[in-house]
Amino acid sequence: MFETARFEARQQLPGAVALAIGISVFAGMMIAIAPGILAEVDLEALTAQLPPQMVAAFSLSVIGTIEGFIALELYEFVWLLGLGIYVAYQGAGDIADDIEAGRMDMVLSAPVSRGQVVLEKFLALWTPMLVVNAVVFAVVFAGTRLIDDPIAVTDLLAVHALSIPYLLCCGALGVFASVAAPRRVVAEGAAVGILVGTFLIEAVTIGTDAEWLASVAPMQYYDPVAILTASEYDLWGAGILLAGTAVLLLASRQWFERRDI
Amino acid sequence: MTAIRLDGLTKYYGDIRGVEDLTFEVREGEVFGFLGPNGAGKTTAIRTLMGFQSATAGEASVLGADIGDAEALRSARRDIGYLPSDPGLDESITGRRLLDYHGSLRGDSRSEELLKLFDPPLDRKVGQYSRGNKQMLAIIVAFMHDPELVFMDEPTSGLDPLKQEELLGFMEAERDRGKTFFFSSHVLSEVRKVCDRVGIIRDGHLVELEAIDSLLDRTGKIVRASVGDTVSQADVSLDGAHDVSVSGGDGSDETMMSFTYTGAYDSLLRHLLEYDLRDLSIEEAPLEDVFMRFYDDDPQAAVEQVEGEQAGEGAGKQPDEDERAGERGGESADV
Repeated sequence: MFETARFEARQQLPGAVALAIGISVFAGMMIAIAPGILAEVDLEALTAQLPPQMVAAFSLSVIGTIEGFIALELYEFVWLLGLGIYVAYQGAGDIADDIEAGRMDMVLSAPVSRGQVVLEKFLALWTPMLVVNAVVFAVVFAGTRLIDDPIAVTDLLAVHALSIPYLLCCGALGVFASVAAPRRVVAEGAAVGILVGTFLIEAVTIGTDAEWLASVAPMQYYDPVAILTASEYDLWGAGILLAGTAVLLLASRQWFERRDI
Repeated sequence: MTAIRLDGLTKYYGDIRGVEDLTFEVREGEVFGFLGPNGAGKTTAIRTLMGFQSATAGEASVLGADIGDAEALRSARRDIGYLPSDPGLDESITGRRLLDYHGSLRGDSRSEELLKLFDPPLDRKVGQYSRGNKQMLAIIVAFMHDPELVFMDEPTSGLDPLKQEELLGFMEAERDRGKTFFFSSHVLSEVRKVCDRVGIIRDGHLVELEAIDSLLDRTGKIVRASVGDTVSQADVSLDGAHDVSVSGGDGSDETMMSFTYTGAYDSLLRHLLEYDLRDLSIEEAPLEDVFMRFYDDDPQAAVEQVEGEQAGEGAGKQPDEDERAGERGGESADV
């Protein structure tokens, strides 16, 4: 039981560590330049000159504080889009690539069920989620204290903890694409395309009559800016993301049990 | 007992036929050779029997498990080994780690013993392996849980001749321990060494199913003789000799003759000894010639031809299995 999850989790480790280092360097740079920018540039006046819809779409009105600045520069873009895409991409490549390379034949020649393989492949995606969250949390926690402008630790913990349901949902979307698409590149393209597409839909429909369209976007249910700047934790949204994850995983399992490999 | 049973098993990929209406059984404890040229449908049949793809029509069971019943088949796979023709192995890890992983999935009671026979460099990454080393690693994975039944798809591909012999010898020893093999190949010489019965597949259809010796008897031998007489084609009036060709003789004192022969050795030798026989070689016909000789391009016509020949030859054709096992060691001619 869980042999595949253990094996695949270890396979994910080098990529997860590299990603954690890369994002940590970026986070460190943002924290290092934050005091200078926040002191010297009147960001709020600057954003006031931008179209109101753009300010609303990217929550630019809060950029004038360390919480707002880090929330926007790091979590809004790197977490929501970058890390979400990474996890979805890994999930999408997983099963589709194993099928293409003939590795899935070797795995399924053992007495394991296809449903179990899908679940364990998904569980292996915890590796990048946990490694990147733990490392970057430590960097932001220590960094903001080093510049003497600390972010409240509960908010910081919440922004990382509540990103887990969001990333799980991204991973499940990738896994679903992986079992449903005929080839790896199609699976990866579909998973990434859906995330980027829904991110843009969410951004452009804010304040319009079509705002309801954004309800299909997973990023609608995880708002790092609200967590860090207003201590608003959307637990209901986290629940919706977990429910979405479960639905996608069940659908993946059903699909994979029926398809030819 | 039946290890594998196929009843009208058919697999289409859209409009493309993989295999059609395969009906036969493989008995427990036998080595069943599944012969056919590349693209005939051998891999399709094996992958369908393993449950990797669903059958379009027909039924099949493996170790009593219906291949349409995923849970039953999953359970049966505890006793099934599988060696694909081009094994998909994680290239980023060492052979040892790969064996650990596959051992954790299916159990490992034999890998140490197997590593004495097949010895890939376990501490190197699989990506650095030669084709032969990958094949040896996959052989260990296929046998490490000591399965009752092993599907092998072109198992000797990539192995050097020495390892090919070791694999075939290992299969014989395993067969003697009661294991069952479903062994696909397009090389008659390796099939004849280990198989008890063969099914020949062509264009997705089973065109032949019989004991290996009776197949070899019917496919004939290639006879090449050098004689010190002047011989014309018409002189070679031996029953069972086909495609006779004669060369030399004009002015020289030696004539080369060659033909395919499907009769008994004594009448062949008696005929040849009528000449001043200087050199003689008798070899099995290569599989490609078997196909050329017995089956034209129309599979249906081929089936009718085979059925017609079998009806004409009567029922006493299947040789005694024990007797055949004794004879196997004495065969030396290779293709």
